Amino acid sequence: MQQLLNGLFIGSIYALFAIGFTLVFGVLDRLNLAHPAVFAVSAFVGIELVEVAGLSIWLTLPIVFVVGGLLGIIIERVAFRPLKNRPDAHFAGLISSIALAGMFIALLQWRYGPNTRRFPADSFPSTTFTIFGAQVTLLQVAILVISVVLMVALALLVARSRLGRGMRAIAENPTAARVLGINVDRVTMTTFAISSALGAVAGALFAMNVNSAQLGMGSAIELKGLAVIIVGGMGSLPGALVGGLLLGLAEVFAVQYLSSSWRDLVAFGLLFLILLVRPQGLFGARKVREV
Amino acid sequence: MFTESTFVFIALGAIFAYSFYAVLVAGQLSLGQAGFASLAAFTAATLAPSPKDVGDLPALLIAIVIGMSVGALTAVILGLPTMRLRGVFLAIATLAFAEAVRILIINMGWTGGAQGMSVPKVVEPWMAWVILALVAYWFWRQAPSRYGRALEAIREDELAARAMGIDVGGHRLSAFVSAGAIAGLYGVLWAYYVRLLAPEDFGFTKAIDGLVTAVVGGSTTFFGPLLGSVFLEMIPEVQRAIGIEAGWIRPFLAGLLMLLVILFLPGGLASLLPRRTLRLVSGTAIDADPEGALGGLAQRIHPAQGETVVDLVGLGKDYGGVHANKDIDLHITGGEVIGLIGPNGAGKTTLVNMISGLSKPTSGTAEVLGLRPGKAAVHKVAAAGVSRTFQHSKLFARLSALENVMVGGHLVGKPTFLRRLLWLPSARRDERRLVLHAARCLERVGLAGKESTAASALSYGDQRRLEIARALASDPSLLILDEPAAGMNHVEADALSALIGSLAQDGLTILLIEHNVGMVMKTCSRIVVLNFGEVIATGTPDEIANNPAVVEAYLGSAEPEDAS
Repeated sequence: MQQLLNGLFIGSIYALFAIGFTLVFGVLDRLNLAHPAVFAVSAFVGIELVEVAGLSIWLTLPIVFVVGGLLGIIIERVAFRPLKNRPDAHFAGLISSIALAGMFIALLQWRYGPNTRRFPADSFPSTTFTIFGAQVTLLQVAILVISVVLMVALALLVARSRLGRGMRAIAENPTAARVLGINVDRVTMTTFAISSALGAVAGALFAMNVNSAQLGMGSAIELKGLAVIIVGGMGSLPGALVGGLLLGLAEVFAVQYLSSSWRDLVAFGLLFLILLVRPQGLFGARKVREV
Repeated sequence: MFTESTFVFIALGAIFAYSFYAVLVAGQLSLGQAGFASLAAFTAATLAPSPKDVGDLPALLIAIVIGMSVGALTAVILGLPTMRLRGVFLAIATLAFAEAVRILIINMGWTGGAQGMSVPKVVEPWMAWVILALVAYWFWRQAPSRYGRALEAIREDELAARAMGIDVGGHRLSAFVSAGAIAGLYGVLWAYYVRLLAPEDFGFTKAIDGLVTAVVGGSTTFFGPLLGSVFLEMIPEVQRAIGIEAGWIRPFLAGLLMLLVILFLPGGLASLLPRRTLRLVSGTAIDADPEGALGGLAQRIHPAQGETVVDLVGLGKDYGGVHANKDIDLHITGGEVIGLIGPNGAGKTTLVNMISGLSKPTSGTAEVLGLRPGKAAVHKVAAAGVSRTFQHSKLFARLSALENVMVGGHLVGKPTFLRRLLWLPSARRDERRLVLHAARCLERVGLAGKESTAASALSYGDQRRLEIARALASDPSLLILDEPAAGMNHVEADALSALIGSLAQDGLTILLIEHNVGMVMKTCSRIVVLNFGEVIATGTPDEIANNPAVVEAYLGSAEPEDAS
C-alpha cells in the first residue's frame, strides 16, 4: 500500500510534467526540448523564494506558475516562432530549444552555482496521515491534489473554452484556423505559456518531494517525460495522466521487486513495446495521411 | 592554443555527427547512435586482441571491424521493427533503445559495470583524421549518386518517392545501417583514445551532441558534420584562449551561438559555402546525342494495341461506412487515352490510388500490367511501368527541377554509388546519360532552361509540368495524370493536350483525370464518368456528351422533385 501511494505521488509529478510536453506536441506538432530546463529553473526559483523571501511553500507555487508561463513565452518567441515556415522546422525546433535550454541552465549555474540546493529545514508542514496503514505526509497529499487539479483544469480549458477551441482548431489545421479568424500566433504563445507553467509547477513539486534541486534534474526527467507521452499517446492529455501514473507505479514496484539499477530499464522496455505494438500510444489517435 | 586532444576530438565528433547525417539525409531522426557506439565499443574492447600482442594498428583495425559489424548488425535488428515509425516516434524509440543499452551495460558483469573498463590508448591524431577523411569521402561520393538522390527524395516526400519506384523501406533501412556502422566506428575510436570506457560516455547528452553537430554544420551537404564539429569543439577552446573562465559563460555562449546558427543559417554552417549545383553544360548537348540518351534508357516495350493494361473487377473502397468506390469494372488496353471525369468527391483519386497501389481496395480485384496493386508494394507497381502525377503537387521541393526528374528516372538509371566510390568512368557515363534523359523529359514538357531552379521556386503551372516530366522519366507504360491542367490557362491546356497525344503515339497508355471537360473531350479516346463512387457511364466523347445521366451528375436534374 505504501508503495502504491508513493508510486502515485511521484507519478502525478511525472504526469504534470508530461502533460505540458504533450500539450505543445498535440497542438503544434513540435517537441519542445526546453521544457526540462523550465522544470529545473522553477525548482531553483521555488527554493529561492522560500529561502530568501521567506514565503511559505504554498505561496511559491502560484509565483512559480507565472514564472514558468513567462519562460514559455520566451521559448516560443525565441526558439520556435522564427522557424515556423521552414521546411525542416521539426529538426530546427529541436535544436533551437536544446540551445535555449542550455542557456537557461547556464544562467542557473551563474546564479546558484553547480551544487545541489535544498529547501530550508522547517519549510514543510510536519502533518502526517495514516491511510490503510501507510504513512503519508501532508506535502505528498498536496502534490497529488495540486497535480490532479491542474490537469483537470487544463482538460476543461481545452474542451470548453474559446482558447481551447482555438487550440484544437490549430491542431487540426493551422492554415484553416487562421482563415477562420483565430489568432494563431497568440494561441500558440498561450499554449507554450500554459505548457511551461505546468512544467514549472511540476519542477517545484518535484524539488519539494525529494527536497533537493540539481542543475541536471531536467535531463533526468526528460526521458521519463518522453516515455510517458509515448505510452499515453502523443498529444493526448488523458494519456499523459495515465502514462505518468503508470510510470510512477512501475518504477516503485520495479525497485521493490527487482533492484533499483533495473528500474529505468522497465520504463524503457515498456516504452519500446508500446511503440512497436501500438505506435499511437494507449490514448492516441492514428493520423491518416491524405494523398 | 590547441592541444592534440582538441584535434582528435574534432575528428571523433565529426565522425559521430556523420552517423546522424547518414539518416538525416533520408529525413530520419534517430537518436540511437549512442547505443550503437556503446555496444560496439564494449564488444570490440572485449574481443579484439591486445595491442601488446599484435601491434597498435592491427589491433585497432580489428577492433574497428568488430565495432562496425556490431553497430551495423544492431542497426538491422533495431531497424527491422522500427523502420515504419516516423519523425519524433522513431527518435524516441531509438533513444529508448540507447538508454536500455546503457542500463544493460551498467548491469552486466563483463563490462565492468558503471566503472567501465580500461582500454589501451592506441589512436593517434593522424589515424582519427584519416578515418574521418574516409567517412567524409563516402558521403561525398554518395550524394550525387542514384542512391543519394533516392534518399533525398525520401526526405522530401516519401509517398512521391515510393511512386517513383524507390523501395523506401529498403533505402531507409540501409541508411540506418550505415548510421549504425559509423556510430560503431566512433565508439571504437573513442574507446581506444580516452583509455577508460564507461557506459555514461554514451548517454542522452552524447546523442544530442551528435545531432546538434550534424544539424549546426548542415545536414544537406557532406562536409556539414565536419564544419559542425570544428565549430562546436572550437567554442570552448577559443573561450579559454581569450580568457573566459567562469563556469557558466561557456555553456551560455555555446547555447547562444547554436541558437544563432539554427535561426539565421537554415542550411547550417555549410550554407555559408557556395554549393555546386548540377547543371547542363549547354542545351546543345542534347542535340549532339540524339539517340544515345533516351535510346539508352527508355527501353520498355509497351503493351500493344488491344493488350490488357488495367483490369478492374468489382473494385471497391470503403472508409468506415463511406463507399469511396463501389463495384468498379474497368478494362483499359494498350495505347488508349482514357478520361476519368466526375464531380468533386466522386472517387476519382481514390480509384487511381488503388490502381497505382497507394491504397488497398476493400473489395474486388485489380490487375495492372500483370501485378496486383494493393498486394504488390508501390515501388514494384511503379517498376512494372505505372507512373503518376498527384492532384496536389508532391514534388521534391528542395531539389532542382533536373534532380526531380532524375529521381523520376530512378527505375531506368543504374545504381552508381559503389562505382562512384571507386571512380569508375562507367558511373560518370551513367550519370551523364541520366542527366540527358532527364533534360529531354523536361524539354518535352516545355521546361527547358529551368533545369537548375528549385522545384519550390517554380510557378504553379511549371510545377504541374514538372510533375509530368518526372512521371515520364521512368519510361512508364501506364501514365496516370491527376488533374494536370488545374490552374493552367487554355493555351497551356492545349499544349498539354498535344503532349498527351504525342505520348499516346509513342505507345503509352494514359489515364487522365481532369475537370476541364473540353480538354478531356478533345484528348481522350474513351471517357469514364464516376459519380458517388460508381461508374455511371463509359463511352466515346460523343456518347458521353449526350448521356443524360452524365449531364444530370454535372448540372443537376432538370426536375428536382424526381431527383430522389
